[in-house]
Parts: sequence; structure tokens; C-alpha cells
Amino acid sequence: MAKSKEKNVARANYPKLYDHDPLADVEPELRARISEMETYIMKNCLWQFNSRGWDRRKQNAGILGKTAQLLVGEVVDNPTPLDKCHWVDAVLLARNFKERCLWLADLGADEIRSIIEKLHARIDWLTIDGSLNEELTVQNY
Amino acid sequence: MNCEVKVKDRIGTINPIFTCQPAGAQYASIGIKDCIGIVHGGQGCVMFVRLLISQHLKESFEIASSSVHEDGAVFGALDRVETAVEVLLSRYPHVKVVPIISTCSTEVIGDDIDGLITKLEEGLLAEKFADREVHLLPIHTPSFVGSMVSGYDVAVRDFVKKFAKKGAPTGKINLITGWVNPGDVKELKHLLKEMDIDATVLFEIESFDSPIMPDGKAVSHGSTTIEDLQATGSAIHTFAPNRYEGGKAAQLLEKKFKIPSTVGPTPIGIRNTDALLKKLSQVTGKPIPVSLVRERGIAIDAITDVAHMFLADKKVAIYGNPDLAIGLAEFCLDLEMKPQLLLLGDDNASYVNDPRIKALQDNVDYPMEIVTNADFWDLEDRLKNKGLELDLILGHSKGRFISIDYNIPMVRVGFPTYDRAGMFRNPVVGYGGATWLAEQMANALFNDMEVKKNKEWLLNVW
Amino acid sequence: MPYHEFEVSKCIPERKMHAVVKGPGEDLTHALPKGYLNTIPGTISERGCAYCGAKHVIGTPMKDVIHLSHGPVGCTYDTWQTKRYISDNNNFQLKYTFASDVKEKHIVFGAEKLLKQNILEAFDAFPDIKRMTIYQTCATALIGDDMSAIAEEVMAERPEVDIFVCNSPGFGGPSQSGGHHKINIAWLNQKVGTVEPDITSDYVINYVGEYNIQGDQEVMLDFFRRMGIQVLSTFTGNSTYDSLRSMHRAHLNVLECARSAEYLCDELRVRYGIPRLDIDGFGHKALGDSLRKIGLFFGIEDRAEAIIAEETARWKPELDWYKERLQGKKVCLWPGGSKLWHWAHAIQEEMGVKVVSVYTKFGHQGDMEKGVSRCGEGALAIDDPNELENQEAMLTLKPDVIFTGKRPGEVAKKMRVPYLNAHAYHNGPYKGFEGWVRFARDIYNAVYSPMHQLSAIDISKDDYETGKGFVTRRMLSDAGLPEEAKASPLTGYTGKFDPIPDLRQKTYPAFERRVAPAVAE
Repeated sequence: MAKSKEKNVARANYPKLYDHDPLADVEPELRARISEMETYIMKNCLWQFNSRGWDRRKQNAGILGKTAQLLVGEVVDNPTPLDKCHWVDAVLLARNFKERCLWLADLGADEIRSIIEKLHARIDWLTIDGSLNEELTVQNY
Repeated sequence: MNCEVKVKDRIGTINPIFTCQPAGAQYASIGIKDCIGIVHGGQGCVMFVRLLISQHLKESFEIASSSVHEDGAVFGALDRVETAVEVLLSRYPHVKVVPIISTCSTEVIGDDIDGLITKLEEGLLAEKFADREVHLLPIHTPSFVGSMVSGYDVAVRDFVKKFAKKGAPTGKINLITGWVNPGDVKELKHLLKEMDIDATVLFEIESFDSPIMPDGKAVSHGSTTIEDLQATGSAIHTFAPNRYEGGKAAQLLEKKFKIPSTVGPTPIGIRNTDALLKKLSQVTGKPIPVSLVRERGIAIDAITDVAHMFLADKKVAIYGNPDLAIGLAEFCLDLEMKPQLLLLGDDNASYVNDPRIKALQDNVDYPMEIVTNADFWDLEDRLKNKGLELDLILGHSKGRFISIDYNIPMVRVGFPTYDRAGMFRNPVVGYGGATWLAEQMANALFNDMEVKKNKEWLLNVW
Repeated sequence: MPYHEFEVSKCIPERKMHAVVKGPGEDLTHALPKGYLNTIPGTISERGCAYCGAKHVIGTPMKDVIHLSHGPVGCTYDTWQTKRYISDNNNFQLKYTFASDVKEKHIVFGAEKLLKQNILEAFDAFPDIKRMTIYQTCATALIGDDMSAIAEEVMAERPEVDIFVCNSPGFGGPSQSGGHHKINIAWLNQKVGTVEPDITSDYVINYVGEYNIQGDQEVMLDFFRRMGIQVLSTFTGNSTYDSLRSMHRAHLNVLECARSAEYLCDELRVRYGIPRLDIDGFGHKALGDSLRKIGLFFGIEDRAEAIIAEETARWKPELDWYKERLQGKKVCLWPGGSKLWHWAHAIQEEMGVKVVSVYTKFGHQGDMEKGVSRCGEGALAIDDPNELENQEAMLTLKPDVIFTGKRPGEVAKKMRVPYLNAHAYHNGPYKGFEGWVRFARDIYNAVYSPMHQLSAIDISKDDYETGKGFVTRRMLSDAGLPEEAKASPLTGYTGKFDPIPDLRQKTYPAFERRVAPAVAE
């Protein structure tokens, strides 16, 4: 009883965004492209696996948001050290995406933003909203 | 008096020479076939002892934990033992003996493992494992009492107490070896065989030294059976050469089954081996055969090659389990060496009354110190700050850095000896052990002469 | 990714939730092993206790400290000299350990006086050492000794000393991980912020979750120094006590073993706004990317690139030599916690082996998320493994080599599976570009040991053809290789037995400061 109440308090830090895989209905070709990116992240990156749900939400948004900016050639603003830290992971990610996902070169800015948005939803699903990790809601570090 | 016996003059321990009681009970438990102990306490009490044993023997042994966590520490953890027994028996169908070994934490919270065992015998064992031979026994080894040495002593006694039965006289003797190595058991059994004496050996641990077999199915285990333990109650005599590692069991057998016993001396060196053989001969009426006279001669021949030329007057410090350390000191004196410092484990107040210690005090003709409840700082502090000079150290691997940092050669003996290969395979007892020890000491000194270029040319001819 | 049920664990159904096999097309949301739950008693789990997690794993690598355990002597003895965390001050922390030696009378009457006397005695024995950590054990936690009060008393009497108190008794949590957590938080609350460091660079980091196993920390520090980065502290390998009190002044926390030290980084992020950057020091790509990120953060990526280029040119060919020969070899990656994810992907990509199973002794579900993600399909992931399950797994998976602890390694040996020490390493360090080749070399030496080949032969059988006087590793490893590979002049590892002494002798270029150091007010 008490435990589930604590969970709810912790949950309040990062409201649930998805209750099922947000990419379930995406058409196969696009899905395959997002999968390439997803696989790269899950095999090579660690930023998406902070220990708590609210931190994962911030990490995913920060890094993937900046990755999208970098991929479309926007100037990225890093007002705080935390922003900068997200940015360095984004730089590496954007470079690796460009190197591995050659189809990115043929996409326009809006298409890139849209595909990263879907990727972001998917990573949120995998690491937060669909995650089976019971410690994401633990209140303290 | 030249030889002083004192208790360590500090209250704390800097670099311990020995660990706590549960470790001794665990080492005893693995000597029994089809036995897996459950240590009732935190998981570290098992995990690290298993690691220690595996470092020493380069083999793995099975010991379980009741895995006491926070709630158990607060509310009592007997339910953890209950589960542990059931899980263990369910998954290890061959297991027949399950000692429940207590630790500091579960003694402090006062878990009644004796009562629980009665409950389990009437409940779980009778209901779920009715068609199986299973023996549960409590072994109380709070870590804040004694040391691994007393823990071993208590455990051997409790195993004997649990199983020994008065049956038809077997004509056998009991040999309770104490905390020794597979190589020691092999040597002791060899002596018994030459003497044509039938013995129940506690514990049969030669099989600790086990092979890799092509089928990948070999496992290391002790080989003392329940029948062996039962037979201890019908023996003609008990030999417990290590006073503090089996003496309690000998006492129990004497009291309960009127089996006379010989406790000590540790059969290290020619003289103490002689004493053991003589007593064996006396008790069994079997003569000491020519083969052993010859073996003894080979040992003396080998020792003569190194003793008065190389070992004489060499200053040595010895630490470890008391029986081992005292036995080694006695042998060193026979080798014309000069033990300077004996560091004996734990706070057992009766060490001062040990006849062997008394004999040292009466006869040693140069300054010698014996420290009880000792730690490694008792050795290092004397080297670093008090002018102690040594030629050699005898002891187990935990003291290795003293040897390394103070450039003193060291022969690894006792438990654990993880920093040298295969030490557990060699005996320190018997005539074979005497030869091995003397030659190891000589070789250690030779190597040291070469490393330090200290009369390294001496061995050009020998 | 269905849960995997072991035959040997059918009688304890709750174990079924602790093992999974990642199936085709499955991801983390399909199944994840349970983790960090209370151990099932009697399973012969491999877990240790929270005391060892605090004292042995994290506390003791601090090098200029008297590490005193308050309890009976066993906890101290048992955790002493079972690890390889070296230091550049002659390994003081490896050599000396202190126990208050609690006896029965203290259990009855309390052991606080005993503790105080111990503290004084220890400082007196080592007059050059002014720092101390004190660790609670099961016994002294249960009798309720107030260690902090005693520490305060001593610090008041001897202002030159500083004492850290860690209340992490053995029973405090399902595994050693409970102790990692407790000492992280205790250090943060008691000590961080109590020393102001001397800042000598524009680029200042803490290197967190790194314990200098066989010199890992010193290898990584070499890279950081070559980049002109000031490493304020390492938590905790080869680190001084006081440097760890000044962690609050770093610009960036570079986190290696998140399992044992992420709590600290997360709290430093919240309390001091210091960002947390997770890195991998293992594997050429992962390490290269890690250095790049740190370089990027400080605007000195070129320095990172220079190092990567130099190191890769030197060591990559030797790594590739092993990769060619380890192709497809099956690995059980069975460490304690973080290495299951540090290594899982990198060894497959860069050494050609296949990870058929991962396990974690004390990890949490977060570790399994990383580990399962980084394994290929079909890998068996086990949480809180026990003896029988491991044996069953080895029998069914038939690995060519296993990376695990010393004692489980002995079990594997009997089953004719070569083992490498995943915690303490065989011949490390394994971090760094060179270290990674050393790891590959150790795997190769284990897999292609002629002795291992002989161990499979039953001499009583008729089909054993004798006649060879010897077999070399090359004869075994190159048998199936194409001719051009065999003829290649490349070789395996050509470095030294111990690369660390050279690093300790090294001097580093001074980089010009971009920002003038603030003048002290």
C-alpha cells in the first residue's frame, strides 16, 4: 500500500506518455529505418539508462532533441553544463547516424525531425513507459 | 627465563593472522561426503570463506547461506534457515548431512537453531523428505568467540557428537587430523598403512586434490562418510595430534564412549613423528616396521644435508594455527635453528598451559617471544621499529607482504597458501613432511642468497 | 524474450523470473529478469554482503587511509587480500587492514570504548596516516554502537585527523550492492564539500566508479593527462581521501561503473549541477567515443583525436590478429555487475566472440537492461545466479570460455571450460587501447591452451593418436585460417608484462590556460 503510494509520487515526476509501443502502427520501411537508429543506441550508448524514470525522460529529451537539431543543421544552444553534456552525446550520435544511416542524406529537415521524434517516442517506450525495470520509480537515488 | 609468553599488548588487530569461528566450521564441513552446510548469517560469511578455500586449494566447494537480510536481522531469521534447508534438500538430492552453522549476527539476535532443527525434523523432514536419510545438526560458532581454530574444533566435536554410536568394537583407531592439507592426510595414512593399522580418519580430504576428467564431471569433495563418523564411537583409541583442532572431539569420545585418547603432539618433525608412531604401536600392539625405520633414515639423511651447514642458527618467525606454529618451532629447534617469535592465533587462555609451550620456556637458551591473540603487526612492528632480525618466516600467505617488504625469505605453510602453487599437496607432518619442510627452508635461503648476492658463490660446490 | 526455467530450479518457481532468453525481434519491454531482490536461502547464490560492498569494493581502494572494520576479526580477514586494486603509494591499502576485534564481552557491554582505543592505536601505529574510514559490521550494528559519536570525539581530540564512518552491516540489502549504495550516500553527506581543491586546469573532472584493478585507473588517467584535463578525484581507485572530499568542484563527472557509483553522480548532479557522463573504458570504439565526448565537452576534441589516432595505430593490428582467431568462440560473460554491459557488445564487435550468456551477481534490473540490449539474440541472461543453474547453463551452452570470479572459475575448470577472472583480471589492466589487446590475448591463451586440448582426451580410449611431442597455440588457432592470414607478419600482443611502472614515470606537457586562474580573495 505504502509502496504503491511512493511509486505514484515518483511517477508524478515524469507523467506517463505512452501505454503501448508508439511505433506499433508505423509502416515497415520507416520502422526499419528507426530500428537501425534504435539498435545503434541500445548497443553503444549508456545515456538512456540513468537509474530513475524522471532522469531518463530528461536524458532522452535532451540528447535526442539536440541530435535532431544537429542533423538538420540548427545551431545548438547549451546554456548550462547539463545541456552541454547532453550535446556531447548528441554530437556523437548524430555523427554515427550520418555514417551508418546513409538514407538520412536524402531527407529534408522536417522528415528528419519527424523520424527523430518517432525514435524518441520509441526510446521513451523502451526505457521508461514500457520498461519492466521496477526501480525507475524509486524515490531516492 | 629466556622465553616469554605474552598476550598482544594492543586491543585492536592490525592485519589479522586468523579469521573467525564459522570459517573453521565450514572447513570441517567440506570434509564430509554428501554434506552441504548452511551458514546462518549474512552472505559474506559464506562467500568469502568459499573464496578463501578455493584460493588455497584451487578447487570449489559447496556451502550454502541462509542469506540473512535486514528484516531477518530485526525480526529474527529462523524462517530463512527453514527455507534454506528445504531448498537445499530439494535441489541436492544426494545431500545427507546439513550442519546449521551460526555466526555473530544470528547469535546476537538469538535465533534458536537447536529448536528449529527439532521442528524441522518433526515437520519438513518427516513430511517432505520421509524417504531420505537427512541429518541436521546445529553448530554454534559465534564470530566474537575464539577463532577459525576453535570453530574447527567445535565443529569436529559436534559432528562426532551427532553421529558417533557405540557398536561392535571395530578394532580401529580414530585419527582426528586437525586442520591440515590433503598432503598431510596422505602422509598420515601412509604411516598408518605401513604400521598396518586400520583407522577412521577425520577428515578424509585427500580427495580435495581432484582431477579434471575428460568427461568434465569430476568434483572436489571430502570423503568421510556418515558410517565413518558413526564408527568413531566404537574405536579402541582416539588420536588427536592437533590439540586445538580435534581435542574437543577426543574428549567427547572419551567421556561418552570411554574411548581413551592421545591428544597431541603435532607430528611435525622427526621427533614428534616418532612419538606418534610409538604411541600408535603401544595402543595397537603393532610393531614399527623396518620400512618406516628406513623412511625415517631417508628423512634424517636429507635433513643432515642441510641442517648444520645451512639451517643452524637461522632466526625464524613462525605464525599460524597454534598446533602448527608450535610443531614447527619444535622442529626448527631440532634443526638447530632459532625461532625468535611465535605468533599464535586467538585469545585462548589455555595456550600458556600447553606442555609444549612450558617445555620451550624451560629449555630455550636464547631470547624467544611467544605472543598469543597475535596479529601481523606483532611481527612487522618488531621488524620495523624494534630491531628484530630474521632469516626466515614460516607461515601462510596473508603475511606475504612482510616477507616482500622486509626482504625476508618465507616458506608458505598452513592455511591459506594461495600465493604459491600446490602447497596443499605437500605434507608438513610425518617423515615426509620433515624432509619437505627442511628442504623448502634450505631452498628458500639459497634463493635469498642469490637474490641478495649474499655468499651466492657458496653453492658452487655442495 | 520468454523467461527461462532451469531444470534444477523447478522446485523454486520464483527463480523463473530471474532468467530470460532474448528471442528474435524481442526487446526490453517483453521481459526483463527480476533483480536486486532478496536472495532465496539455500540456493548457493554467489552474492556477498553489504559490508563487503562498502568496505571491500569501494572504501578500500582509497590509498592513504586506515581502513578499520568495527566487529569481530573475520569480516576484516576474509575481505583482505582478495582483490587487485593497486596504488602508486606502494599499495598501503592492500597491505594493511584493521579490525577492532570485538569479543563476547563487548557484545554484552558495548564496544564503543573498544572502538575508540582502536582508532587511537591505529593512528599511533601509522603516524604518517591521518585519514581513516570505519566500517560497521553485522555484530556492531546489532548492538547499536554509535560509531559516528566516537569518530567525532577522536576528531575533536586530534584535529589533524579526519574520519569517515560507514554504517553498512553485512545484512544491509540483498547483496554487496546495498553497501555500494550506503557508502556512496554516506561519503556524499559526510565528506564531499569539506576540502577546497587547487584547480590547475580549465578542464576538471571526477572519474567515478573506477577502482584501479591492475592499474586500470592509471591507464585512463594517462589519457586524461595527455588531454590536459585535471582529474580532481577518482572514486575510489588509487585516490586520496582528501581529493574525494573536493569532488564538488569538478566540471564533469565521468562515470565508469554506474552500478557501484551512479548514486553519487546523480546526487552531485542534483546538488551541485555537475553533469554525469557515462563512459566505457573498455573496447577501442567505446573508449575512443568516450574520450571524444570528454574532449567535446571541454572544446578540446582535437586532443582526444590525437590520442585515439596514435593508440589505434599502435594497438588495433594486434587486436585484429586476435579477432581473426577468436571468431565465433562462445563466451559466458558472468561478472559481478557492470562488466556484463561494458564488455557484452565490445567483445563481440572487436574480438569476434559470441556472448551466449550474461549474468549478474549483484546487479539491478538497470544493469540487465544494458546487458540484454548489448547481447545478441538467444543470449541467456541470469540474475543472482546459483551453482546448479550455472552448471546447467554451461552444460547446455557449451561455452569456449567463461569470464567470472575465482571460485566459480574453479567450477568451470572441472567442467573443462577455461576461465578468465572478470573481477581481478588475469593479466590486466584491461582498460585502455593496449589493455583491450591484453584482454584479447588472455582469452586467446585460455581458449587455445594445449593443456585444455589435452584435458578432453581419454587416454584409455583407442582413438587417441599420440606421436606429437608438443602442440602450440598457433597450431590450434590457425588450423582453419585462410593462407594469407597464416602468412601475415602481424602478431598478437607485444607489450610488456606490466605497463604501469612506465606510466608512473611519465611527464606530461603543460597546456596553456584559456581562463586565467581566479586570484584567491
